[in-house]
Amino acid sequence: MSLDALRDELTEVLRDGVITDPAHLRTYECDALTGYRVVPALVALPRDAAQVAAAVRACAAHGVPFVARGAGTGLSGGALPTADGIVISLQRLRRVVDVDPVDRRATVEPGVTNLDISLAAARYGLYYSPDPSSQQVCTIGGNVAENSGGAHCLKYGFTANHILAIDVVLPDGTPTRLGGDAPHQAGYDLLGAFVGTEGTLGIVTGVVVRLLHTPATVRTLVADFDSTKDAGDAVTAIIAAGILPAAIEMMDNLAIQAVNATVDAGFDPDTAALLIVELDGPADEVQARFTELLEKCTRATRVTVARDAAHRAQIWQGRKAAFAAVGRLSPNYFVQDGVVPRTRLGEALTRIAAMGDAAGIRVANVFHAGDGNLHPLVLYSEARGEHDRAEALSTAIAELCVELGGSLSGEHGIGTDKACSMPRMFSADDLATMQRLRAAFDPRGLCNPGKVFPTPRLCGERPGPYRPHPLEAAGVIERL
Amino acid sequence: MKPTSLAELRDAVRDSTGTLLVKGAGTASGWAGTPTGVDHELETTGLTGIVAYNPADMTVAVRAGTRFSKLQEELAANGQRIALDPARVQAGATVGGLIATADSGPLRHGYGGPRDLLIGVTMVLADGTVARSGGHVIKNVAGYDLGKLLCGSFGTLGVIAEAVLRVHPLPPATRTVSIPCDVTEAVELTGRILEARLEPAALEWYGGALHARYEGLESSVELRAAATPGGTVDHEASRVWDGEFVVRCGSRPSQLPAVAKHATAITSSVAVGVHTLAVDSATAVERLRDEFELTVCRRPAGSDLPAWGRPHPAVPLMRAVKQRFDPAGRLGPGRFAPWF
Ligand SMILES: Cc1cc2nc3c(=O)[nH]c(=O)nc-3n(C[C@H](O)[C@H](O)[C@H](O)COP(=O)(O)OP(=O)(O)OC[C@H]3O[C@@H](n4cnc5c(N)ncnc54)[C@H](O)[C@@H]3O)c2cc1C
Ligand SMILES: Cc1cc2nc3c(=O)[nH]c(=O)nc-3n(C[C@H](O)[C@H](O)[C@H](O)COP(=O)(O)OP(=O)(O)OC[C@H]3O[C@@H](n4cnc5c(N)ncnc54)[C@H](O)[C@@H]3O)c2cc1C
Repeated sequence: MSLDALRDELTEVLRDGVITDPAHLRTYECDALTGYRVVPALVALPRDAAQVAAAVRACAAHGVPFVARGAGTGLSGGALPTADGIVISLQRLRRVVDVDPVDRRATVEPGVTNLDISLAAARYGLYYSPDPSSQQVCTIGGNVAENSGGAHCLKYGFTANHILAIDVVLPDGTPTRLGGDAPHQAGYDLLGAFVGTEGTLGIVTGVVVRLLHTPATVRTLVADFDSTKDAGDAVTAIIAAGILPAAIEMMDNLAIQAVNATVDAGFDPDTAALLIVELDGPADEVQARFTELLEKCTRATRVTVARDAAHRAQIWQGRKAAFAAVGRLSPNYFVQDGVVPRTRLGEALTRIAAMGDAAGIRVANVFHAGDGNLHPLVLYSEARGEHDRAEALSTAIAELCVELGGSLSGEHGIGTDKACSMPRMFSADDLATMQRLRAAFDPRGLCNPGKVFPTPRLCGERPGPYRPHPLEAAGVIERL
Repeated sequence: MKPTSLAELRDAVRDSTGTLLVKGAGTASGWAGTPTGVDHELETTGLTGIVAYNPADMTVAVRAGTRFSKLQEELAANGQRIALDPARVQAGATVGGLIATADSGPLRHGYGGPRDLLIGVTMVLADGTVARSGGHVIKNVAGYDLGKLLCGSFGTLGVIAEAVLRVHPLPPATRTVSIPCDVTEAVELTGRILEARLEPAALEWYGGALHARYEGLESSVELRAAATPGGTVDHEASRVWDGEFVVRCGSRPSQLPAVAKHATAITSSVAVGVHTLAVDSATAVERLRDEFELTVCRRPAGSDLPAWGRPHPAVPLMRAVKQRFDPAGRLGPGRFAPWF
């Protein structure tokens, strides 16, 4: 491996698109999971797909590991560099190439933000559906890598359900295309398999997304409850009644307090928990379902219906500001992303609260309740030396979700953060089989190494032996 | 070989030598390439039954040899369904077979195909390894999603033993509106129906008409059916369809007329761009194959028409994946001829 030779080669191709200055390199040392930091050896800023391919080819030739980076809003350390490797930033590839209103799709470069796709499509009454709270900044390339979700994915599905094709530079520098004009795959669904692999199979240089028509009608309510358990039970009742809202979000009192200190979303500061429920679709269907929905909120202490689009936007602004707002309550925090079966929401919240109490650490909750995707925010102070205790609690919460029959992550990815917990959810054979897919794309392991899968170096003394999945232990599923 | 449990399946694969053809109900046994040099048939129809189903979680785990229609009956008793309706279901297609062929019907418009409804999978690899990916919750990004890889794998990467599927509520009412038109008009009408935000669950063209299926509350489907441009409210549409050669083909939605001109009969998910065509000669299939990606699903006995067209850019990657999952080439020999 020769970093000097690589730098010279990259400078020749990318000219001013190479960063070597140590101060400047530090901008790239972490993503939004700021607890992990590594300064990369250098950063490449290609301008187009051909330059990305050239950069990757150069890395392959010199045996240097590389990691793609979009906006760096990832919450699992997915874009964390290695000290002997380079970062390939897609920030300069931010063209909306084409919006096609007839076939309802847009072709964009990977550095385009999630929201900019919808803005470009708006004049045709179309939009790009998956809506992570970070949508103003995060890139579509990052969304593809993480299979990102958002509040409205309950009804409309996640990133994987909205991508028609991607252009990819494979880890040896070869450009290829996965997917096609229609969701009819001739052969293995390699596009589907690629989405959500956290930048470990190649670099996305172009994306064709499906666009939807904006819904005819939208109705939104905020329902206050005396406890998170009552709110959780209401979620179960709504889903069990066959209502499929566009979104069901929950916030507990701590999260509400944080939001209220930052923006005016009209949330009651004294309520224990609230649900934001939104229905959309044809007017008559929405109207009738909204009446049913109100009947499912009988235990609510107060229900506020959004008066108009501006009021609705205010409510959503409150929800989407929650993560940032929590920063006001606490100097430091961890966000977890575990998923539990929807019928176990109440139980999960009760246990998380008890674990927080036992650790003497506050946990705020703001999350996608409709699909059971929790986002416990573990609040701590680095200065008071609470880091290790908070981290242990955070990991224990993620693993609790697996124990309840769920998953370590619903949308933020495994990255560096949760790789060591993977053996809680998957056996050695499961992980080795996933690695076969990786090896088919990246036999030399140069593309975003050290992510998703546990490694002895990363996990140190806790390589985490496989334990049977709780559903296996209960005899519900069988391995053998 | 006809195992009746995961352990028997694993043993059957691990303790045998030679090539294996995975066989479900056989409703699509003619799809893709013709198997060659098969040493053993491995029947999955002994692996049946629901493994876990809690209606309030809206997910179900089921063994892969279960007939899809049987699964739907059990879900319907709880007012639920899998929103997947390929025609083969009536012929007894199995859950694993539908996944392996990535098959779908008109509901693909509203709900996607097997890839979009499959949330977890257990498989047995050619060397007997038992591996699982995904899980039991609808939202889950932990690890690689190997279930998607198996969609369209035609029994060449691993034997699907068990699947966890996303479940939807059965709609209280449905209404299908048929609009007699040609394929060019169908594309234009599709645009108008979507622009009117009528939210059809399916938009399927066949038999000289565009069929718009609405699902929802009684009053709502009635209103939407009445608001459909040019439509006459119909009985639930039903046609029988036949052809010498049958192919499944994908295109941009607006290219439907260019696809249809090769067909003697066609059924098309117009807004999605997935079409099933009856074609009258091998030459016509070859012409179509020059322009569009397709899979041959049926060919007359004795025909040696290749199942796949010009290799698309990702075929080398498909080969690399096959090599890693099944280095000895045990599973489904011939299915991807002439690609590998
Ligand atoms: C305040 C806040 C709110 C958030 N809310 C949500 C939410 O509601 N839902 C949600 O799902 N996530 C959310 N996130 C997480 C994050 O925004 C998403 O994971 C997002 O998709 C990351 O995009 P990015 O461009 O910032 O990617 P980065 O952080 O730069 O990278 C993320 C991963 O993608 C890879 N990658 C990036 N670009 C490419 C490419 N072109 N090709 C291949 N790999 C690539 C990287 O290597 C890395 O592994 C939130 C984050 C923050 C800070
Ligand atoms: C999207 C779509 C929508 C359809 N909608 C309707 C409908 O609403 N009502 C209706 O009566 N018919 C419909 N059909 C026609 C249907 O495909 C078959 O003609 C009919 O169900 C006979 O099936 P079978 O299982 O008896 O075929 P068989 O004669 O048993 O099967 C013969 C061969 O045909 C193949 N085959 C069976 N079904 C399909 C299929 N769907 N696509 C491609 N190959 C197939 C089998 O794999 C087999 O190789 C539709 C077809 C498609 C593709």
